[in-house]
Amino acid sequence: MSEGTRTVSTPYVLDVSVLTAVARADAGVTSLILDLDARGQPLVLPALAVAAASLDARSEDADDALRGLEQLGSAEVAPLRDAEQAVRLAAVIARTGLDPWDAHVAAVADTAICPILTLAGEKWREHSADLDEPLHIIEIADPGEARGDSGPIA
Amino acid sequence: MSDRKDRLTITVDPHLSAYAEQLVKEGKAPSVSAVFNDALAEKARRDRRALDRLRETAAQADPAKVSRMMAHIDAQAAALPKR
Repeated sequence: MSEGTRTVSTPYVLDVSVLTAVARADAGVTSLILDLDARGQPLVLPALAVAAASLDARSEDADDALRGLEQLGSAEVAPLRDAEQAVRLAAVIARTGLDPWDAHVAAVADTAICPILTLAGEKWREHSADLDEPLHIIEIADPGEARGDSGPIA
Repeated sequence: MSDRKDRLTITVDPHLSAYAEQLVKEGKAPSVSAVFNDALAEKARRDRRALDRLRETAAQADPAKVSRMMAHIDAQAAALPKR
């Protein structure tokens, strides 16, 4: 789509797998996210998913990378803002059995009707029908690679 | 740091204001304004470093592979129901 005809895109909600890849300095995923940002694609970073990625990596470099994501012009952190959202998160955890950080991703995607950008499509497909509205998934993968290769994408 | 300064009015937490004044009183900062100027400069430096780190990582990617992944994303996005 050209710059002149672009309309406001539906935001993509980044899940723990994507944020963890960025925190681990996966060049391919990081480049992809920067390219999406450069195209003006809105990106949502659920706060609990950011926490999970930081917890996984436990390094200053990883936290810098996660903080860097927040600096992107098209990126926005989705906080757990108030009791209403906390109760909603608890309901999603109860219905899906997901970890709190994954459930926060699902809650944000479900509330805003946004697709989840993920490296773990299969996991999300299992939970796609757990909520009132189906979750929509966009999986990061290289179609040029054999399926089942779960190694780094760089 | 520039010699030219803009004047602005800000509100801050009382304990931070007290800390800035303490630094001035102890001779560790020339003024309260300088304390907040330095703090903001440090945040700007940290934010730049974070973005630079992402760009350095991304520069190591295989552009052809990233293009294929982007096309795959676009194809999936195009197939989603309209909001």
